Amino acid sequence: MTLQMEQIETAEQHAAFNARIARGEKIEPGDWMPAEYRRQLIRMISQHAHSEVVGMLPEGEWITRAPSLRRKLILIAKVQDEAGHGQYLYHAAETLGATREEMLDALLEGRAKYSSIFNYPTQNWADVGMIGWLVDGAAIKNQTMLAGCSYGPYSRAMVRICSEETFHHKQGKEMIVAYAGGTPEQRQMAQDALNRWWWPALMMLGPHDADSPNTGALAGWGIKLKTNDEVRQEFINEHVPELLEAGLTIPDPDLHQDADGNWRHGPINWDEFWAVVKGKQGLNKERLGARRQAHEDGAWVREAMEAYSARQVAQAAD
Amino acid sequence: MTHPHPDTQWPRWEVFKQDGPGKVHQAVGSVHATDADHALYTARSVFARRPSAVSLRAVRAADIHAVTLEELGAGVRLPGEAGEAQPYRVFAKKTHKRSMTFVDELGEVEADSPQAALERAREAFGDGLLVWWVIPVSAFVGTPEDADTVESWFAPAKEKTYKQQSSYGVVGQHISKHKTPRKGGDHE
Repeated sequence: MTLQMEQIETAEQHAAFNARIARGEKIEPGDWMPAEYRRQLIRMISQHAHSEVVGMLPEGEWITRAPSLRRKLILIAKVQDEAGHGQYLYHAAETLGATREEMLDALLEGRAKYSSIFNYPTQNWADVGMIGWLVDGAAIKNQTMLAGCSYGPYSRAMVRICSEETFHHKQGKEMIVAYAGGTPEQRQMAQDALNRWWWPALMMLGPHDADSPNTGALAGWGIKLKTNDEVRQEFINEHVPELLEAGLTIPDPDLHQDADGNWRHGPINWDEFWAVVKGKQGLNKERLGARRQAHEDGAWVREAMEAYSARQVAQAAD
Repeated sequence: MTHPHPDTQWPRWEVFKQDGPGKVHQAVGSVHATDADHALYTARSVFARRPSAVSLRAVRAADIHAVTLEELGAGVRLPGEAGEAQPYRVFAKKTHKRSMTFVDELGEVEADSPQAALERAREAFGDGLLVWWVIPVSAFVGTPEDADTVESWFAPAKEKTYKQQSSYGVVGQHISKHKTPRKGGDHE
């Protein structure tokens, strides 16, 4: 792939690039692009990749405690998917000139962000189901929008991810609907899980548009095709009726439907959101600690792979 | 860095997946791997977790000769000395529109250098394509094509229906049942 060196960008180059965006063309790795377009994409895509990787931790904790073999297989497959999604996304960022090693270092050293949602604890098995229904449901809304983005490799990764995430969403919904229709204890577990995850799920779609500094530039370049608030509204409109139908109560006294049929939420606690993003609240230290530990514990595997590879090369040379 | 940190980068291998018999191989993404077997096993975990694969190929990114239409317009030529004639696989990106893959395989040409392969490819498959990749066939590794290998590598995914969103059906009633506007706060 050809990497454009950072150099003076001319007005003509920008005009031609903007015209391509306006025509709905996909931008590909070898194509000319503004340095800022490249920078924003590397930031977004690597952050997204880290989220997939860290997202394995809260769910991975529950694999040994799944209530049935079927549920265990489902959860293993789901966690494996998240690992795969991280790979698709790191690859997309690599096409922009980022290296895998730089991105991993940024995560392990705590310089890179990942989604705030993974800093919340999973307290019981119902949380695993609710994460599937709400967290993966919110992720799909965001990712479906990004599947239409102007950068080809990111867009294609998103199409692939969305088709797999739909499995995560549906198995979570199936699990919660079963609990919500079960014994009083099971119903209470489902309700408690909703109480824990409803607001974090709304927050994970990002700050309100007025407080989202990058949205304007990203929209202009066809990276984000909808604003945070638009995606959040779609998510709420789709999920509220289904949660109500399952017999659950949404933990928002201000929630109501407006004249247009949109479900309107009450005020969101953004102080909590920022505290979680910045690691002042929630499990940021634990998550990064677990990720670093896994990296260090895996060192012998990497060393063994390299030794094996070196021996193959040496034997081939004999 | 506070922890030991050997090189985790490893060479990048581009992965090509064939969805079914008679279909072309398509570039689906890349993996990092120490050797050919490692590349194929990792590619299987990453790109064939669900059915719709009968063959995977991988090639080191360094062995791919790539050029865009824009670069061709600027007179870019592919580097590489002329040597023995050998077969090259040709891949191209055909459209600026949304597509699930970057480049798809078009076929093979015989040439004595990457630049000559590119010229043959443009004659054989038409000009005006957006991105060209020409890659020596000898650089590829792939899953064996015998029935047993296809079965053991790709068929197990078919049995794992719990991984398919279609196996969950529609849970609950249709959403339209709840579309009627209501006044605030009475949803309980």
